[in-house]
Amino acid sequence: MYELFEHTADLGLRAIAPDLNTLFAEMAACLMSALVEDPASIQPRKEYTIQLSGSEKDYLLVDWLKELLLRFEEDHVLFATFDVQVSDTGLTARIRGEPVDPQRHALAHEVKAITYHELKVVPTAEGWLAEVIVDI
Amino acid sequence: MSKAAYTGPLELIGCDCYRIPKTYKPGMRVDGHIYANEKLLEAIRQDQAPEQVANVAMLPGIQVASIAMPDIHWGYGFCIGGVCATDPDEGGVISPGGVGYDINCGVRLVRTNLFLNDVQPRLKELIKQLFYTIPSGVGRTGKYKFDPAETRRLMGEGPKFVIERGLGVLRDLDHTEAHGFIEGCDPQLVSDHAVKRGSEQCGTLGSGNHFLEVQVVDSIYDEGVAKVFGLELNQVCVMIHSGSRGLGYQVCDDALASFRNCAQKYGFHLPDRQLACAPVDSPEGRKYIAQMRAAANFGFCNRQLLMQQAREVFAAVFGRSWEDLGMELLYDVAHNIAKLEEHTINGKKKKVWVHRKGATRAFPAGHPEVPEAYRAVGQPVIIPGDMGRASWILVGSHGAMAKTFGTTCHGAGRAMSRTAAKADAAGRKIDRELEHRGVIAMASSRFGLAEEQPKAYKNVDDVVEVVHDADLSRRVARMRPLGVIKG
Repeated sequence: MYELFEHTADLGLRAIAPDLNTLFAEMAACLMSALVEDPASIQPRKEYTIQLSGSEKDYLLVDWLKELLLRFEEDHVLFATFDVQVSDTGLTARIRGEPVDPQRHALAHEVKAITYHELKVVPTAEGWLAEVIVDI
Repeated sequence: MSKAAYTGPLELIGCDCYRIPKTYKPGMRVDGHIYANEKLLEAIRQDQAPEQVANVAMLPGIQVASIAMPDIHWGYGFCIGGVCATDPDEGGVISPGGVGYDINCGVRLVRTNLFLNDVQPRLKELIKQLFYTIPSGVGRTGKYKFDPAETRRLMGEGPKFVIERGLGVLRDLDHTEAHGFIEGCDPQLVSDHAVKRGSEQCGTLGSGNHFLEVQVVDSIYDEGVAKVFGLELNQVCVMIHSGSRGLGYQVCDDALASFRNCAQKYGFHLPDRQLACAPVDSPEGRKYIAQMRAAANFGFCNRQLLMQQAREVFAAVFGRSWEDLGMELLYDVAHNIAKLEEHTINGKKKKVWVHRKGATRAFPAGHPEVPEAYRAVGQPVIIPGDMGRASWILVGSHGAMAKTFGTTCHGAGRAMSRTAAKADAAGRKIDRELEHRGVIAMASSRFGLAEEQPKAYKNVDDVVEVVHDADLSRRVARMRPLGVIKG
């Protein structure tokens, strides 16, 4: 489960999940919901693979979201599904998406960057909670 | 979430200046100074921006005070509206967070010799043409394409590179901060990712709070200075607010990643990871400075190309060349940047790194960096407000040199979060409301107008009153919007 939360000039991404794999997938979906008005408009047409290394979970989350943002910015691709495997040394993800189609994808915000401000990846009684502020 | 109100100390110590004493938090090296009046202070207390002023006071080598302008609001790491100067000789640091992701985000104002009566009958057509010609919004690329080598030349030469290709005139550079070129840049140090993000975006507005506005001068406060700036009542101007686009965001992002271990490496404590910094005189610091300067030069190029497109639209709509329409650049000023400047501290001249994060340089009369045409009166300062009320032209003053490292405010400052503004706009038609107020607004995204509606901002007149009264800059003229295009 994910949601956008308020931050004066920017936006917050928040997700809760029973495990880290789901948490990272939910945060990715949350980022897409900041980029497009209707994330359901993104079709999982093509598969892409991402591999990242890093042992600190909070930095790994930032790197994961940065990678997705970079692919959107450079290759103009949006993503619909995220199969993420987080390990002690990094993550491997198989993600599916499609190139931006202005006829079907109403873009919502220009996310300039994923910030480190009040960055959180913490265990909770039910699983995990993550929060990230993105610069708009 | 730290949306909680600030409950720490704010002691009135001078004209519209409130202090957070350095005893407030362990680790503060200097006091915090926030410029505000009682009305604005009430709003400023509502979030954690003052706490961020206190956090910045912990940066190694910080001089005099961690300073905030009256348009201060909660940012990430640094507050927006923050100023800090660090001395490299005292272990001073450079902080990418103190510049922001949008390196050299800034504003330029273009004069015309048109008056309200000339423009009003064709306003709708003009705004429509500007909207369809000038790329705005998420993911929009521009008509100007630069390959990677050319993109690096944009960074290495600044707007001169595009002017030599007919996109502007050399005198535009005389009225651009630093002549549109900050020396000491190294475009070869800028990552391929940053170059790729920037190569299609030079000459595009972007999204968020960036805009292009057609405005009319509705009040003159200083006839003499206005005359020197070439402004008169009812004259029409064009204001452009944008920065270094994806290229700058990526440069900041790259630097923050490479600064992750600097606090540990150089032995200082930071209360927020977004305040990541490195000594000016360190491999990490020197590299970021060279990259940041390159991105800043790209930002000047972006605004140059945006201006040139606006000139071409005006020429097409009014059937006269832009030169004939008197579309001269009044001034271009950065409000997200760090620069090495000479300032007098405790009676001694020092070269310090002035970080301006949502704050504008405001040098006074006689300063050698003020363009010759304005040197007798001071540097023009351009303060965009919101799209329903007003924007301002101020002039730099000596008070700023004495109190704020030659700096003043940069805008109105947000009063509502984006989510709150969007919720507030639900069921309303912001463009219709603006039209009733005499403003034609066009935006690429539905969210654009809702999140940027006038109510989402403080009243810029209040902010300007503070900087005028505190002698950080002086009122010259007020403009109201006629039409706006946004992302």
